[in-house]
Amino acid sequence: MRIFQMQRYSAIALLVFLTIHMIVVHYPPFHVDFTRIIERMGQPLWKAIDIAFLFFVLMHALTGTYAVIIDWERFYAYRRELVGAAALIFILAFVYGARTIWAFQPPA
Amino acid sequence: MTTNGSRPRMVTVRVQRFNPDVDEKPYFDEFQVELTPAKTILDALHEIKTAQDGSVTYRRSCRHAICGSCAMYVNGKNILVCNTPLRDKIDEEGTVTIRPLPYLPIIKDLVVDRSSFWEQYERVKPWLIPSADVPEKEFRMSSEEVAALNKAETCIMCGACYSACQVIAMNKRYVGPHALLKAFLRVLDPRDMAPSERLADVGDQDGVFRCHTIFNCIDACPKDLDPTKAIETLRKLAQKRQAFEAARRDRQRMLNEPIASS
Repeated sequence: MRIFQMQRYSAIALLVFLTIHMIVVHYPPFHVDFTRIIERMGQPLWKAIDIAFLFFVLMHALTGTYAVIIDWERFYAYRRELVGAAALIFILAFVYGARTIWAFQPPA
Repeated sequence: MTTNGSRPRMVTVRVQRFNPDVDEKPYFDEFQVELTPAKTILDALHEIKTAQDGSVTYRRSCRHAICGSCAMYVNGKNILVCNTPLRDKIDEEGTVTIRPLPYLPIIKDLVVDRSSFWEQYERVKPWLIPSADVPEKEFRMSSEEVAALNKAETCIMCGACYSACQVIAMNKRYVGPHALLKAFLRVLDPRDMAPSERLADVGDQDGVFRCHTIFNCIDACPKDLDPTKAIETLRKLAQKRQAFEAARRDRQRMLNEPIASS
């Protein structure tokens, strides 16, 4: 039930973040150029939004992958190991991604 | 020649054959059957068995879409062959292809081993667990409560939904749509005294949360039932079991009150 809930709650969060992402990055209502993008990526608020986006993407992807893998009866016995592997991937990917986003500084 | 002098229209019926004691893998036998307006697929199978090949093996019983014995996989869909006209299933090549229900071990030809189906059914305790405190006259249900059951009690246990389920195909630990539909029926039944335990049972990782909402069970059901909706309802209730249980207790109290004379 927890895996199911994690995936559903992250899906709701992704609806919000993906809408923001699509509007801001792919279909902006204003002219988009390199300077604007760099400026946005340097703002703490956008960094926080991107980190939250990364968090929910990882949560949704890993819980979904876990649910699909344990559908196979042969992997069913390895549920604990799979949860461990998913948690490890989550931590590594999140720390790496969050650090990359946070460390970005626009050129002076 | 038919009675009006025209040549009878023949249909090719392809039947999957497999005897695990003899055959390495399944194969198809083709039979020619005369097409008549009222002939069902089960009639065609009878005709094949009585007149062409007595070794063709299949299950059937009531011939009225009640017993659920004759569910088979015909032209890519699980159906009851007893109430499906042969003419409705003829493909572009003039053929009807009959296979056993998928994802279940074949005993012989079109007969499958339904052990896992019944084991999962038993897991949800499909029987009613009544209150010790039975009302003096009768249990009462509102029309809304009856409507919420969504005709779930009309399930004939044919196995069409179970064998159409992709999750069952991968993992026989999954309870399956047939059993979850029955659990749904019992959980919403105001006479049943164990809805909370039932929700705990079906709320584990082999229960309602294993469903991927593929809708194959709805597509396969010959009685037009909606196991997916039942599973969704159980999912919601399993996540708020305590609130549901409290509401049930209030409802039960009301049920046990004396019936007001009108």
